[in-house]
Amino acid sequence: MAAVKHSQAMHFHARAGEKVRNAALQRTLQKAKPLFVAKRAKGLASLAEDGLDFELLRSTGKNIRNRTLADLDVWLELFEERATASGAEVLWARDGEEVSKLVVDIARRHGVTKVAKSKSMLSEEARLNEALSAAGIQPVETDLGEYIVQLAGEPPSHIIAPAVHKTIGEVEALFAKEHGRPLETRTSADIPEMAKEARAVLRQHFLSAEMGISGANFLIAETGSAALVTNEGNGRMVTTLPKVHVVITGIEKIVPTLEDFATLMRLLPRSATGQSISNYVSLLTGTKQPGDHDGPEKTIFILVDNGRANLLGSDYQDMLRCIRCGACMNHCPVYFSLGGHAYGWVYPGPMGSVLTPLYTGIENALDLPHASTGCNQCGSVCPVDIPLPTLMHRLREEQNERGLRPWSERLSLNVWAWIAGRPALYRWFARRAARYLNWLADGSGRIRIFGLVPEWTAGRDLPVASGKTFHELYAARKRD
Amino acid sequence: MRLALYVTCLVDLMRPSVGFAALRLLEGLGGEVIVPEGQTCCGQPAWSAGNRALASDLARKAIAELEGYDAVVIPSGSCTDQIRNVYPQLFADDSHWGPRARALAARTYELTSFLADVAKQDLASAMFDGSVTYHDSCKGLRGLSIKRQPRELLMQVRGLSLKEMPDCEECCGFGGAFAVKFGEVSTQIVDRKCDSILAAGADAVVGGDLGCLLNIEGRLRRRGDETTRVLHIAEVLAGGCD
Repeated sequence: MAAVKHSQAMHFHARAGEKVRNAALQRTLQKAKPLFVAKRAKGLASLAEDGLDFELLRSTGKNIRNRTLADLDVWLELFEERATASGAEVLWARDGEEVSKLVVDIARRHGVTKVAKSKSMLSEEARLNEALSAAGIQPVETDLGEYIVQLAGEPPSHIIAPAVHKTIGEVEALFAKEHGRPLETRTSADIPEMAKEARAVLRQHFLSAEMGISGANFLIAETGSAALVTNEGNGRMVTTLPKVHVVITGIEKIVPTLEDFATLMRLLPRSATGQSISNYVSLLTGTKQPGDHDGPEKTIFILVDNGRANLLGSDYQDMLRCIRCGACMNHCPVYFSLGGHAYGWVYPGPMGSVLTPLYTGIENALDLPHASTGCNQCGSVCPVDIPLPTLMHRLREEQNERGLRPWSERLSLNVWAWIAGRPALYRWFARRAARYLNWLADGSGRIRIFGLVPEWTAGRDLPVASGKTFHELYAARKRD
Repeated sequence: MRLALYVTCLVDLMRPSVGFAALRLLEGLGGEVIVPEGQTCCGQPAWSAGNRALASDLARKAIAELEGYDAVVIPSGSCTDQIRNVYPQLFADDSHWGPRARALAARTYELTSFLADVAKQDLASAMFDGSVTYHDSCKGLRGLSIKRQPRELLMQVRGLSLKEMPDCEECCGFGGAFAVKFGEVSTQIVDRKCDSILAAGADAVVGGDLGCLLNIEGRLRRRGDETTRVLHIAEVLAGGCD
């Protein structure tokens, strides 16, 4: 798999440590988390006000996604037929490299020197900006968060809030340098002004870019349209101003009808930002027709597999229901202890812990399925009911089945289970262990450093009892 | 009614008083309470590690030991979740063990849900002098829908006042092996839980799972908090924590 050479997911453990010790990052994350959670809660409350039941809506959404995935080929072919009939071109890409190659070819064919991009996680999978730059074509990210991380030379750390890990001071430093002005002291009150500044810069890019690239939140089979859900308006600029518009998205993003799209739209913005509807919802169909005021002269869809088709019919098919709202990471205790970069590849949080091993190879992301407390806060907020902890658990099983767990872990589990299968022996060991723990605690009721579980005692004491097990005390009580 | 008490391996080793408190509560209901002798571990650590074979071995052992009772009661949401929700999955396609796993699952209860929903007896004698805040453990809350039961029971305890903490449903960061595999991350998560607990300003934090409680107590003490008590709900309800 081509993606693997750029994945840092194998270094999760080490990177997690760095992120935990980064005080500025921690402050930023702790400020952001309650906002995300409160916004979604408000979004759900607004459903209730409209007389809609979240659980009912989510099972409807789940059924739509399942029904689509069951006949994915049929809906994709219908989409291709309808999109082509409306004047667009539909191309297919097997992996990220093919995406980059297709986009560079299209750009060259149309004499493009600058590309304006609205948010696309798939272009991150394809490392498209790198490929464009290497071909002498300037990619400009126009989503504000994406613009910030592009200036910083970093990947996004969140699928809907790419720069959530950045402090306002860091953004100010990037803007001052890029926009050629002196550094100023900024507070959150200055955010609108800073956004205005970026807007002025981006406006010039919109006007001068010969090509626009966007993702798609959904593809609608019956109309051959791409649906774009945005808040900043940059999506509209990217998809209407340049003469060429390229839509890059995964093959699983398709839904059969506009009606299905409307149902999923009740779930997506509420789960993501708590909005009952995003500031902009665009349905993009075909090309500019005579009499139209704007629109691209050429619209090209690139529909990408990059590992998705492998999940069809597998134990992981549920993951393809994902509508990329970010609610799982917004409610994840692990994500909000680290931020997204620790996860090492394009997708962070619980959905990333499932997708990264599946798209880049299970053997290349061994930590990620274990980077979960199993709390299921993610699964319980997922708008299409993806059982994320179950999928992570299945990946853990597959690591075992393929002999990918460390021998020390396998040995200790086997020894422990062998003993636990023999009650008399188990009691004997438990009694010895209780004595030993008590001896280590030395009458204080707690152990401060314990070589057997160093990761525990690095940050916590280990409280222990009086040196006797329940079963030995109970046996003594019965004898009395 | 013949009740079996499954104390859990963590209680056996780390805090036997929780087992005795659960025993007193169940004996107080008037029926026969048995602590099945061969009980060891429900196999959850093997399951969580992704080792289905070892998890199934230990599950078969536990099923054979626990299936002869009218109800099995466990002072842990996590171990109860393993028996109620995982055992039937482990043997979904097994014509011998499948029905036995499902039958046991249907008769297995987490302690507070057994007391509040099945036994439904007043805890007239329980006393606690002070305020408590309740931490909802993840497996109990999201796996078994235990939320109302511990609070109902705590409200019956004379002298006890309940002060809810902010984000009581947030994970404490324990996660079994997670806490020893990713210690720094786990510590970061439990730190936030400690902040929530302190924000409640209660004399004690109470929960239904010893794993979470060891994690919380360990972090509180490491932070220098020697006063906030950390108690299993069985200890509070049985009145044996003074």
